[in-house]
Amino acid sequence: MLDKPASALRIRERLIESERLMEETGCYDGITELELRNQDPLKFETLHTKLRAYCVSAREMARRISASPGVREVGEMVVAIYTPEGDAIALSNGIMVHVHTMSRFIKWMIRNGYEENPQIRDGDIFANNDAFIGTVQVPDVMDVVPIFHSGKLVGWAGAVCHELEAGGITPGGDVALAQERFTEGLFVCAEKVGENDELRRDYVIRCERNLRMPIYWVLDEKAKVASCIDMRESVKALIDEIGLDYWMQVSKEFIEEGRRAQLARTRQLTVPGIYRGHTFYGHVTAGKPGYQPLGDPDWLYNMPIEMEITTDGKIIMDFEGTQPWGYHSMNCTPAGMDGGMFVTLTQHMNFEGLVNDGAWMATELKLPHGTWTNPDNEMVATATSWALLLPAYGVFQRLLSRSFIARGFVEEAFVGQVNSPMIEMGGQSQYGTLFGMAHFECAAAGSGALAIKDGLDTAYVGWNPESDMGNIEIWEQNMPMLYIGRSIVPNSGGAGKYRGGCSFLSTWLVSKTDHLRLVTSEHSSRVFDNGGLCGGYPAPTCQKHRAVRDTNIFELAEKGAPLAHHTGTNPYRSELEVRLEGQHVTMEGPYITAPHKTGDVFTHSYNGGGGYGDVLERDPLKTAWDVENGFLTREAAEGIFGIVLDEDGEGFPVANIEATKRHRAEMRAKRLARAKPVSEWMAKERERVKAADFAPEVKKMYASAIKLSARFTRDFSTFWDVDAQSTFGVE
Amino acid sequence: MTSYSKEVIADLVAGTLPWPQTRRIMSAYKDDDRFFKYVAVLQDRVGWKDPILLPVGDHLFICQSGGERVTKCECGHSFGDYRRNWKLKAAIIVRDTEETLREIYPNSDLPDPEWMEIREFICPECGTLHEVEAAAPGYPIVHDFEPDLEGFYRDWLGKPLEPSSKGG
Repeated sequence: MLDKPASALRIRERLIESERLMEETGCYDGITELELRNQDPLKFETLHTKLRAYCVSAREMARRISASPGVREVGEMVVAIYTPEGDAIALSNGIMVHVHTMSRFIKWMIRNGYEENPQIRDGDIFANNDAFIGTVQVPDVMDVVPIFHSGKLVGWAGAVCHELEAGGITPGGDVALAQERFTEGLFVCAEKVGENDELRRDYVIRCERNLRMPIYWVLDEKAKVASCIDMRESVKALIDEIGLDYWMQVSKEFIEEGRRAQLARTRQLTVPGIYRGHTFYGHVTAGKPGYQPLGDPDWLYNMPIEMEITTDGKIIMDFEGTQPWGYHSMNCTPAGMDGGMFVTLTQHMNFEGLVNDGAWMATELKLPHGTWTNPDNEMVATATSWALLLPAYGVFQRLLSRSFIARGFVEEAFVGQVNSPMIEMGGQSQYGTLFGMAHFECAAAGSGALAIKDGLDTAYVGWNPESDMGNIEIWEQNMPMLYIGRSIVPNSGGAGKYRGGCSFLSTWLVSKTDHLRLVTSEHSSRVFDNGGLCGGYPAPTCQKHRAVRDTNIFELAEKGAPLAHHTGTNPYRSELEVRLEGQHVTMEGPYITAPHKTGDVFTHSYNGGGGYGDVLERDPLKTAWDVENGFLTREAAEGIFGIVLDEDGEGFPVANIEATKRHRAEMRAKRLARAKPVSEWMAKERERVKAADFAPEVKKMYASAIKLSARFTRDFSTFWDVDAQSTFGVE
Repeated sequence: MTSYSKEVIADLVAGTLPWPQTRRIMSAYKDDDRFFKYVAVLQDRVGWKDPILLPVGDHLFICQSGGERVTKCECGHSFGDYRRNWKLKAAIIVRDTEETLREIYPNSDLPDPEWMEIREFICPECGTLHEVEAAAPGYPIVHDFEPDLEGFYRDWLGKPLEPSSKGG
């Protein structure tokens, strides 16, 4: 039983009261004056720094308990400290996307009467991975513990790990084959999974019997509980020091300060107005084994975003005009959308001062009901919601960046994040045991370019600002595949004055297994799911999968003959085809197929980021360095960037500045000769639009957007001077 | 209060400031006097006298041109009233075939031109590539940015704009 909340109200009433005060005053919990901050600013800042230190220290300790290479190597974990009402006060580094999703989880329990049943008591442990309660996808499992002091609920400590195996219809956690929630894996729906600081044995048994690789999940649970207890005890000790009344007041002032700081930073870094952008995602599943015929197999998703920055500094993001939810795994809940907003803000604006839920409170998301951003059906799958979430927040980053450029903070402008496709696997391990694992080297994509320099190569993903691909040797210990290559993919960053960061590609030899299931997700097909900025091009992000079954690789190795270590740069004949005999497979969309076995070769490529600025302004000297180091090909340097390269005495590329100037002048002249007025192009294109002369998936995309959005219908009709509804046969 | 010289801002904008110095600027508290120094740097860069009111791209500016506020290319070409989408007055190259897409993406898998095309918006006078859209065929051209110019100058900069004779 909840003894006595510090406010003397029950916690559910306290939550409602807190929301009412925010509504009435516009300030968090009615905190209109930062009294404690004003009394002693140094004490105020020091206390928040201490809380951050508690979080960072608890996470680092917990990573040593985990058995999962995802948590140990790549850092797929975050922890945070919350108010009794579930608002984040302080957080660690790591997968910060989940700080706000955990807030939703705590509030959900409070709203749903958990005080009465199952009761909230000192020593209890609650877990959740249901995205409609508060997470992004099934593998993101969160644990929270209440913090009591003097018999009163004074806060919560929470931790999230991304599990490498969730027990879904296919191994791993980003289950591309899930078309409803019932195939996504093991759900823990806001359950009390432990008491007296100990996980319940029956819960652990359920995990052990429903997961392919329970050691990851169960030890991660222990790691999370340890971190929560660590933070809880630190907070209690702090309250002993500063007093309970001070704690209850200062924890709220921290959040109000965070909210005010976010508004101030928006006014400092941006320009008010309306910003617009879009991206797309292609989902191709026709003919793939396992997909039920619940809807059309192939989808083209449009993701238009309108962002308004008001003169009081509020950021409002509106997804009107996007697509409906579907019988696929890429739907997202409002919790996931919140999480995306939170992690993006922490990277771009909320990077100093009191990082907490206050920043999120200074924003507003408009998520149209019935779309993939806010499904009106809680049975939908969200196992690969990142497939749409990451491209969407990449758009948000470009919109914010345009505001930074307008204001003059060019060093903060960033072309944005991209999807980083996941490979997951299961079956028989190299040790002869059953296994399952998500390979998390995807946490190291190329970043978009900045407005003053190239993007980061193989070193950035949106969901975790602390990106890491992990060591090859560690991954090899955990799967029956050996690396025969991990290479930078040339020209994989979007072209521009500053190019996007490059991606990498892994090439594996399947080893010591007769049954290895390989599955991929979050790989757009037929369209790029990212963009460039200010003249930069999108990165090429619709790569297909390439594999070879029954290869002759062992014979080649025995003879000392060259092997294939990557796919090469010839798009019409890969290095695999050049070097290896066997059954060659090229597949678009999710890789779902029969099991692999020893001697097969599989490649998986990740994504580069978009480019910034006009390609004809790229620095020739930097480009020569890029060619020398394999980030660009000589062909791209000359053909795209107009940079003529000679060779020095040792055969290294050297920019020929004079020849480059001449070549670029020719390219610019050709560009002008080739271009036509937009008005001319539009007049011709309008005839195509009037006839709806598009591929079936494109027509379906327009019809779906028109059905769901009056604004999209109006904008489309006005732009082309057509009746959008009759053009696409929408009643 | 943090503040940098106009020369430092000029080098930062040009991408020529040494990385350690750039990194320090990124990590430091932001300089509140950035905007007008930035505009001064850009004003020095362009070869025309119309006062820049707001940069909206790498080489694209809203400026006061006589009694009008227009979107202008760095070369001086005007795309007209800043409240209208400058892209509609631009020149365009559309890449909607394997051949034209391959020119930009020499070794990767390509989008299906039935599903996506690349649109390049170019200054019809100097040929600068100002913006690239990757969009489904038939998708309306995006109006990227409609700044609240009056509100920005009045409420955020504390220097209200003189009324413009032709609105805006």
